[in-house]
Amino acid sequence: MILWATLGRRLVTAVPILCVVSVLLFTALRVLPVDPAAMSMPPNATKEEIEAARREMGLDRPLPEQYGLWLGRAMRGDFGRSIHHRRDAGALVRETLPGTIELALAAMAVSSVLGLGGGLLLFGLRERTMEPVAETVTTLMMSVPEFLWALLFIFVFGVALQAMPFTGRLDPGMKLPGLTGFLVLDAVLTGRLDILWSALVHLVLPAVALGLAFAPPIMRVLRASLIDTYHEDYIRQARLRGVSEGRILIRHALKNAVLPTLTLMGVQFGFLFGGSLLVEVIYSYPGMGNLMVDAVRNADLPIIQVVGLTYCVVVLVINSVVDGLYLVLNPRLRPR
Amino acid sequence: MVEVSRRHVLQAAAIAPLARGVPVWAAEPDGVTIGWPSDVTSWDPNQRFTPDAHAIMKAVFDQPLDQDAKLKLSPGLITKWDMAADAKSLTLDFRDDVLFHDGSKMTAADFRWTFFERIKAGHKVDIAQSMRKVTDIEVVSPTRAIMRFDSPAPTVPVWLAFLGSFLVPKAYMEKVGVEEFARKPVGTGPYKLVEHQMNARIVLERNEAYWGPKPKMKRVTIEIIKDPSARVAAVQSGQVDITINVPVRELTRLKALPGLATDLTPVTKVILLQVRNDEGFADQNIRLAAHHAIDKKALSAAFYAGAAVPLAVLGVPGSPGYLDDYKFDFDPERARALLAKSGYSMDKPAKIRMASTNGQFPSDYDIARAIVQMWKKVGIEADLEVIEYAKYFELNRGNKLPETTLYTFDNATGDPEIYTGYLLNPKLPFSPWKDMNFGQKVIDQFNVADETARIAGWRALNREASEMGAAMPLLQSVLTVVRKKGLAVVPYGNGWILPQAMAWG
Amino acid sequence: MIAPLRSARVVAGLLIVLLMLVCALGAPWLASHDPDEQDLVAMLLPAVWQQGGDWAHLLGTDGLGRDVASRLLYGARVAMLVAGTASLGAAVVGASLAYVAGYLGGWVDWVIGRAIDVWMSFPPVILSLILMTGLGTGARNVILAIVLVDWTRFCRVLRAEVIVTAHRDYVTAARLSGFSHVRTVLREIVPATVPLLVTVLTLEMGIAVVVEAILSFVGLGVKSSQIAWGQMIADGRDAVYQAPLALLAPVGAIFLAVAGFNLLGDGLRRSLDVRMVEGRE
Repeated sequence: MILWATLGRRLVTAVPILCVVSVLLFTALRVLPVDPAAMSMPPNATKEEIEAARREMGLDRPLPEQYGLWLGRAMRGDFGRSIHHRRDAGALVRETLPGTIELALAAMAVSSVLGLGGGLLLFGLRERTMEPVAETVTTLMMSVPEFLWALLFIFVFGVALQAMPFTGRLDPGMKLPGLTGFLVLDAVLTGRLDILWSALVHLVLPAVALGLAFAPPIMRVLRASLIDTYHEDYIRQARLRGVSEGRILIRHALKNAVLPTLTLMGVQFGFLFGGSLLVEVIYSYPGMGNLMVDAVRNADLPIIQVVGLTYCVVVLVINSVVDGLYLVLNPRLRPR
Repeated sequence: MVEVSRRHVLQAAAIAPLARGVPVWAAEPDGVTIGWPSDVTSWDPNQRFTPDAHAIMKAVFDQPLDQDAKLKLSPGLITKWDMAADAKSLTLDFRDDVLFHDGSKMTAADFRWTFFERIKAGHKVDIAQSMRKVTDIEVVSPTRAIMRFDSPAPTVPVWLAFLGSFLVPKAYMEKVGVEEFARKPVGTGPYKLVEHQMNARIVLERNEAYWGPKPKMKRVTIEIIKDPSARVAAVQSGQVDITINVPVRELTRLKALPGLATDLTPVTKVILLQVRNDEGFADQNIRLAAHHAIDKKALSAAFYAGAAVPLAVLGVPGSPGYLDDYKFDFDPERARALLAKSGYSMDKPAKIRMASTNGQFPSDYDIARAIVQMWKKVGIEADLEVIEYAKYFELNRGNKLPETTLYTFDNATGDPEIYTGYLLNPKLPFSPWKDMNFGQKVIDQFNVADETARIAGWRALNREASEMGAAMPLLQSVLTVVRKKGLAVVPYGNGWILPQAMAWG
Repeated sequence: MIAPLRSARVVAGLLIVLLMLVCALGAPWLASHDPDEQDLVAMLLPAVWQQGGDWAHLLGTDGLGRDVASRLLYGARVAMLVAGTASLGAAVVGASLAYVAGYLGGWVDWVIGRAIDVWMSFPPVILSLILMTGLGTGARNVILAIVLVDWTRFCRVLRAEVIVTAHRDYVTAARLSGFSHVRTVLREIVPATVPLLVTVLTLEMGIAVVVEAILSFVGLGVKSSQIAWGQMIADGRDAVYQAPLALLAPVGAIFLAVAGFNLLGDGLRRSLDVRMVEGRE
């Protein structure tokens, strides 16, 4: 019950945040020195035709009214037409979002495995001679942002070793099954193992590059929380009772140490989702990040608005899920 | 099914690490796979002028008139065309043996539908622009039609072989509507559309009832690969048999690989600097100095392996408007002297702004930066800004383009009206040169009916434009092709890579 | 301030940062070439230790024949300028709001807290891209964008610390003895939060280097006439088969700069005994 209540509360606070964000986005972008009406017409359009388009797009009205119009349409799922692609902006996001989510989920998996594994390793090395070395290595790892990993991987695995593909989501010429847009899922559903293989191979470099960049903080927090937990009385008591070290770690310490780690992972995954943008650009990965960068370069306002909002929604959803998980894992917050 | 594809995966997995660099997919003897940089946005061929998709459109549809590999107009669906002396009417004779893909017969009524009735019916088609002067098309018989114009229209035959001019069937389009037509197109072309997956692939099959020469390839698969390095990888691994528009630098590397051949062909596309007639470029001395300071040969050598021909006027060598005897020298000394006349020097440079695209055509941004450097050496300081191609028109409409913009213009017809007449016409969206003294001459030239006088007029204007610095033509663009050694392609001077002109040798 | 110098990390970090500063300030004397000087016949030359290398170009040349090593040195200027000013700016904005929110509490704290919520619902990369779209390119706008995005990082961390400090006895005592609000904050609270502030500031400098590189990489950073590592990466990517160093050299430079700030920040945190939530970007 309390789980649902928390999620509900989260969603309620999310609505005003989204409203504020949409207002900010809307006004910030209207200050731009571009004319969406002129840009939406073919080069040989006349001044009159452009004026007509401006009226049709509602750009001749005062800003608050424009926002109201936009919001009303957005509620009905109509986010306007992309100026550059001349297509429905919402449809473009629907097409590209699954790819970005797929990449982000794969990267989160990489990041979690590396982060938790690395954290345990660091903890295992505590007060040993190797500890300063390991810590310096994590500091140095923290100094490599995702886009540098992405470039390095292209160089090493794509160009030098020629072992991995580094553009797109599939081999050229493979048919996109087009059910959900999640390639791995679609391939499994349709039994196309060749597509599954190709999709997974194409996911490896971008996902590892992205995941690797966000793993070191997780390692550190897990290590620090474990060290804190080991100072607690109940660990000492468990030791006195003769419980084995492995059992103490898994049954007692890890269960408590994982909570602060989880909080951090929630924040991290929001950042990771944004970080996917650069990785997509570098790997020509057809996701929302590439759509966004294209839109920014072309001053394609409808796209920038809807993509900006979508990033926000995803971050808020991730935060809510992490809050929920926190509740599930932390018995102290649950009523008995 | 599942069993087969699983085996396929295991095979693919086994060879994957070795696959790169070694062609693994055996080429079909009568089929070809093409790696193409862009998708077809709509299968309504009249809807948009899309130079990138023109070659694909030409496989499914026919143009009323055609061009041979040397760009001369040649008969297509039209066997004979006859422009009246006042250039206000055009009599056309059509073939009587042409069938649409749905089996119906092509007649002059379909021509009237495509180039007149569709436009009048309010279909949003770009050919409304090129057929602006058409007041009516009279159908005399199923094989004869007469086009009538409100003013002299000497270039209509050229336009009938240019962008967006493809014949569509009246009966079928009226029956299914435009939307459905765009999904299931019917043309008269050498190939029928079998399958199209957005941004992935297009499959064409030979039209066995084609009226013209039978294409060698039975099946054509077009893989849409937007990323240049992915296209390189695809042709290198043998996934595609031929691809275009790969970086010039890559050609040298790819040529050395066994089984691959590369072509570097000059095409009808020009690379130029569009200029304003005011602000920092109001002074003709500065404009001419800027032009004399550019070492076009060095640009060609550095970025196009020397294959791009330096240009002195708007047009390409071999096209009717080109002046073989006119040179515009690279001469930094003269540039400095011109600047000195207006009071500028290395220490007191003339300041201008410049715009360039980045990635619109190969090495565009590099060329722009190289030019900025060349100018710096004579006393012109340019502030370079990167813009998107689409923004060019918006900026120009608001008269907000900088003094000069690196620009590229494709003109598959080679006709001087579509070079100079478009690039320097103040009434069209391409020209930032708004001075009406010169502009009116350009506009008037559109109405010259006599062919000899017309060409001579454009040649004079071309020369004048270069001499007064109204445009700075730089280089003739090149098309890069990488193909399997056994695959022969007819090189078209306008860069067309046509499936119907491919054969395994 | 002697204690931190005993930490190996602090020393290593300081040395790297110092090296970067020397490169940035001394670029005009250290560089062997004019970094903008092109040579269209000497493009994509290999580095000195590779076959065909030449001592004239230590790290080879790029796609326009410009000397990679010289550009690397000049690139440090923008990187260090942005790192310094942007993080200071973010610190001033974020810390001021944190002091106000943490000290006054009530509705002020609520408003600032909600503002942080709104900011945190945007991935920083996306927010800075949108800001740069509105602001236009240029070093000053990059700095402004980073300040506008990253003030929350200071505000979040410091606010908690200020709340704790504000409830300490000596602060209450100061108020009771008639100090004004401003004076109480400046004299009693700010000094207590300096170690934390310095640590976050150092880490933020590393982040600013990365953000500037990212923005310049996608063409929305500094002006194209300025030399920046992110732009060198974007240029070098096109010719990665022919001259890998044009790509790898700026990658290495960014790594080194960020590592310097991170080592310094990490070392300061330990030796100043600052507790803070970790996380990047």
